[in-house]
Amino acid sequence: MSSTFNRERRTAGLILAAPLLLILAGLLIWPVYLGIKTSMTHDVLSEFSTYGVGLGNFKNLIKQPNFWLSLRFTLIYALVATTLEVILGFALALLFDRIFPGKRVLFSLMLVPIMIAPSLMAVMFRLILNENIGIIPGFLQKVGLHFAIFDQHNIFTSLIILDILEFTAFTFLLSYSALQNMQEEVYEAAAIDGANKRQVLFQVTLPILRPAIAIIFILRFLDSIRTFDSVYILTGGGPGTTTQTVGIYIFKTAFIYGDFGLAASAAIVLVLILAPFMPFIIKQFNLNQTGRQ
Amino acid sequence: MKKKYGVTLAASIWVFIFLIPLLGAIYTSLRTNNAISSGPFVWEFDSNFSHYKNAMGAAGYDFASFFKNSIIISIGTVLLTVFISFPASYSIVRLGFGGPWLLRLALALRITPAIFFVIPFYKLFTAYNLIDKPVVLILADSFINMTLAILVFSGAIKEMPLEIEEAAAVDGASVWMTLRKIVFPLLGPGMAAVAVLTFLFSWSDYLFAVVLTSSEATPVTVGAANFVTSYGIRWGDISAAVCLSVLPPLVFATAAQRYLVRGLSSGAVKG
Repeated sequence: MSSTFNRERRTAGLILAAPLLLILAGLLIWPVYLGIKTSMTHDVLSEFSTYGVGLGNFKNLIKQPNFWLSLRFTLIYALVATTLEVILGFALALLFDRIFPGKRVLFSLMLVPIMIAPSLMAVMFRLILNENIGIIPGFLQKVGLHFAIFDQHNIFTSLIILDILEFTAFTFLLSYSALQNMQEEVYEAAAIDGANKRQVLFQVTLPILRPAIAIIFILRFLDSIRTFDSVYILTGGGPGTTTQTVGIYIFKTAFIYGDFGLAASAAIVLVLILAPFMPFIIKQFNLNQTGRQ
Repeated sequence: MKKKYGVTLAASIWVFIFLIPLLGAIYTSLRTNNAISSGPFVWEFDSNFSHYKNAMGAAGYDFASFFKNSIIISIGTVLLTVFISFPASYSIVRLGFGGPWLLRLALALRITPAIFFVIPFYKLFTAYNLIDKPVVLILADSFINMTLAILVFSGAIKEMPLEIEEAAAVDGASVWMTLRKIVFPLLGPGMAAVAVLTFLFSWSDYLFAVVLTSSEATPVTVGAANFVTSYGIRWGDISAAVCLSVLPPLVFATAAQRYLVRGLSSGAVKG
């Protein structure tokens, strides 16, 4: 009986996984092959014929200053935005980690930015930042502040503030979940020892939650490296190429300048940059699943 | 006990700051054209809701069809994602299919940037003449969302007590019967988490939509962004269109907030 039972389970396993395997074959293996092939092809939209160039596109890519600038911009942008969002999100989670009137409604409202598509959020930003009709320039003018939002010198600050408004909800939610998992006894023990609020935060809560905060940081960092929609809609990568993320560089190289080969090679370089994080994420998730607190 | 109204005030101020973009859009959408062009703080209520009427078709924009496309794409993606991920997760977790490798692959894919797939997908779907059809976005969005769905489903299946399934097997129930009568009904919360996250992320997709559609299958995200460049002066209509665009995911995700929180915090990574 047991051998037919096992055979039945094996067959069932294959049948149940079949849709996934089909999708992986059609949308992962085949496209990855196409992506690698394109990266090794001279494939420019305006030219009729395509031909293999080996690693030519990669050699060409290394010589593109715009690629390096976009890489640098992306890393700095991701690092600054993530740091501020993790700090603010955690601080807000601490604020919400108690009972107060109106908490349920305010908590729901805090999550609203998660539910708004980044591209639609970007359109809203364009609306409130418009120099003629926007409420923000109007407000700044009223209080006598001169801050040109889209000026070359201010654009980085502006984009970071917008990123914070958009994604802090995410770090807030994850920090709040982590705080909820804290054991009540830890706080009681600290209270018995006569620790004040500050000591509890810096000597109890933060050290215990350090791994959780590290995960939130890395998740958010990996996401901001992929930023495309919001910056593209707000600035198109400009002024000039000052706010060009790697995503925007790849997109423009392929679909505006028509050089698919170069864009495909840039996409592969981006994946290679992110690849070292993969084992970490895998390990982290396995820990989460087996050792659930 | 002393009520903590100070905390309420502080939290309200932060909520207000985070909601400025949305509130700004709602505010503009409810003002008359005359007020909008007179300055940002001139208030004149548009009692006809003409911007909303314009957005929904009165002014001849294609917005209504973008909206319909977004609904078709998002619902289609939820259904296809569940169809792919639920059986596969059970197969991986309980039947040991693929060892640990399929789950690891799903995790590795989760942090691969979507931009990597944009060029191959464009080539692939152009070759099969599928560009600008909703089915292409359903496929692409399902592919991107299925990794998250597999993670949520496999987490939920691992949490289910194995004894029930074992008892069913001892009583002679086949894998199929166990799946249909026991696992599926118990998986409600996981299913809800996958549905709400997938709906949210496929509704939010911009990158695939901008590359893989040109007009017929355009969803609201691309539609709204194009709106700004093509009708730059009609801010009232644009605001109304954006407010309408954020409504379906907002209503769905707020109603299913418990599952959204659960899904996002169970080791999930936002797309």
